[in-house]
Amino acid sequence: MKKIESAEESRKLLDKITFDLTRSIVKKDEMTRFWFFILIMFIGVGLWGWIIQIDKGLGVTGMRDYVSWGMYIANFVFFVAVSLIGFLLSSALHLLKIDWAKPVSRVAEQVAIAGVALAGLIIVMDMGRPDRFLNVFLHGRFASPIIWDVTVVTTYLVISVLLFYLPLIPDLALLRDRMGSEVPKWKMKIYTILALGWNGNAKQYKTVYHAMRILMLLIIPVGLSIHTVTSWLFAATLRSGWDTTILGPYFVAGAFVAGSAAVIILMYAYRIRYGLKDYFEDIHFDQMGKLLVFVSLVYLYFNINEFLVPGYKMKSAEGVHLTNLFSGSFSSMFWIVQIVGLVLPIILLLCKYFRKPLPIAIISVFVLVSAWFKRYLIVIPTMEHPFLPVQNVPENFQTYSPTSIEIMITLFSFFAALMIISVLAKLFPVITIWEYAEEKGIDKKYLSETPKN
Amino acid sequence: MNKKLNILIVAILFLSAQHVFGQEWTVPADKENVTNPSEYNLANVKKGKDIYQLNCKSCHGDAGKNNALPLVPVPPDVVSEKMQANTEGGLFYKITAGKGGMPQFETTLSEDDRWRLVNYIMNYNSKNEPVLVDAPPVKAKLLASVNEADKIVEIFAEYENKGEFVKLSGAPIIISAKKAFGNIELGKVLSDENGRAEFAIPENVIGDEEGFVNIVVALEENFEVVPVILDKAKVGKLKEVPKLIRGGEILWSTNENIQPWLLLTYLGAVGAAWLAIGYVVFQILKIRRYSKE
Ligand code: HEC
Repeated sequence: MKKIESAEESRKLLDKITFDLTRSIVKKDEMTRFWFFILIMFIGVGLWGWIIQIDKGLGVTGMRDYVSWGMYIANFVFFVAVSLIGFLLSSALHLLKIDWAKPVSRVAEQVAIAGVALAGLIIVMDMGRPDRFLNVFLHGRFASPIIWDVTVVTTYLVISVLLFYLPLIPDLALLRDRMGSEVPKWKMKIYTILALGWNGNAKQYKTVYHAMRILMLLIIPVGLSIHTVTSWLFAATLRSGWDTTILGPYFVAGAFVAGSAAVIILMYAYRIRYGLKDYFEDIHFDQMGKLLVFVSLVYLYFNINEFLVPGYKMKSAEGVHLTNLFSGSFSSMFWIVQIVGLVLPIILLLCKYFRKPLPIAIISVFVLVSAWFKRYLIVIPTMEHPFLPVQNVPENFQTYSPTSIEIMITLFSFFAALMIISVLAKLFPVITIWEYAEEKGIDKKYLSETPKN
Repeated sequence: MNKKLNILIVAILFLSAQHVFGQEWTVPADKENVTNPSEYNLANVKKGKDIYQLNCKSCHGDAGKNNALPLVPVPPDVVSEKMQANTEGGLFYKITAGKGGMPQFETTLSEDDRWRLVNYIMNYNSKNEPVLVDAPPVKAKLLASVNEADKIVEIFAEYENKGEFVKLSGAPIIISAKKAFGNIELGKVLSDENGRAEFAIPENVIGDEEGFVNIVVALEENFEVVPVILDKAKVGKLKEVPKLIRGGEILWSTNENIQPWLLLTYLGAVGAAWLAIGYVVFQILKIRRYSKE
């Protein structure tokens, strides 16, 4: 890393970096208002749907005796999956000293916070009596994977928030010192409080590094557990399609695929919207593309194990389930998800051209949408095939299709997640300024100077 | 090849024709007039009735009640003219061979038993003096007590005779144990000339966890009687409590029964994670403190 010697040059470069990276905070135009209007609209509609559901009960959903885990749980698994990328990008790659991942880590952390926060909320929305939510903690059984999952989701949320916050502290001080009239007073107040009186002395930096290191180490087991335990909610049963030993790594690998796609989309959005071409560079997309190919290949490997081995044996109940996926009522969804969401992206992203920002962003959209449907395929078909037939139920109990209320609430979760990400992007820089400046060779001492203007 | 096919087609046509036109059930002449080797007496008719109750009643119904299953053709009632028009040899043949909805019993019932069934059916034939009379049920009363030390049930039976209850002698008394899904018969005793009977509870009867058995004392069908229920007689073996993996601790159980290793793993992992989180929060507070330097 080259060091910039001249103070003049350093100051100039830092000014430019700060200017560019705070554009997301300062920028305020029609587009911003329109975006937030859309978000609030959909969130409002979704909340309205939830009120109807609370009022009338879970009967307004398509869930019945056979399928008691419907779209909500599939959606929950999706959000847990997406959130896992925070652990991969901002911890694992950091610890491996992979430099290109640094500017991406805050984006990943945004996705992680939004994902895991919504995952928790979706579980509450899946409850018939959300007012009894606390009973999960008060009367939970320690032997139940559901308690483990609730615990690990909460823990992961806290760690993600801390991992977002810690590297933000020097940035907050920077904003406090440099932003003036461009941002409203309440924002300045937030910066001042959250900056904890940071003045950039050596001890403070040392503490931040130390605490970050602890968190990065901590998030590895917690991150792995969050999705492994989520998979155990399924794998700890005997149901066909869930009763497999590789469900944990299968979920984790799938989560990296979904999360990488989400991060790529977000990077592209920031690059275009906030003019960050020089920050989310082509090389970052290229590297993310390679990462996506890698995790997709791992996921493909697990998919082959997950479907080929039981498909070869076709054990009775498992066979019914697999036939339903391969050539039955779920076959079109299954094959589209596997091909569009997994096989094609791998093939395309092996070419350099498709790893350019726009093509890879488009591919990522397909990957992310497929990832959602994949979770649907994991949850619902198995539920439609219980080992013992549920007796004396109407015909329409045997198959599941989500109702409009469920779709409304599920849409709510997407827009609420986008809302969290948007608010974070509006409040805080989307790339860690001080880390980035340091990377560019600016000495730390210039960071804590207040520009005289 | 062609010949075989022709035979097959002819055979199929023949068989289906049989099915369509087979309202008449003819018995081969040589079978028609075979004499019944089983003597027509009460013992054989009774045995025949028992076999009938087990194997035939489900389709043919109770004798004289016309409550057969609605099959096509309807299985005729034992008492009916149609049934009684058969010769004994004919009955034997039909029971042996079966036809359509009527199963064959050649392989499931012994020859003797099939002849006893014929004895039973012939009980309702006008040519015969009925030996088995289905009298209307007699009102009866039962008194029972249990001697827990000797595991003996003592029973007194009475029946109504011209408005008065008198001792019921020589009647089979059924002793059963009440279980979750119905009664399980422990045995039968005959009452003596004083209407008294004693029944020794077999050693292998299993009670609940404390050895309690609910005993039911009843009479056979042809008596109208309220069964005596002896609740909580301590005459059974103790029910074995199933040995679970590691005593009372099982997976997916309540917190009282959780396996210690599971609880420790959970608490250990959660505790460690939150200790680390606490430590990080402490570091953040330290950053604040350092800002004064
Ligand atoms: C599955 C039901 C079923 C059972 C069990 C059954 N039967 Fe039948 N039985 C029939 C039917 C149906 C017919 C009428 C057949 C016909 O006429 O084509 C029949 C006819 C008969 C006939 C001939 C009556 C006649 O038309 O001459 C005799 C005799 C008879 N059953 C005796 C018995 C005896 C004895 C048993 C028990 C060992 C028995 N069946 C058990 C259904 C049953």
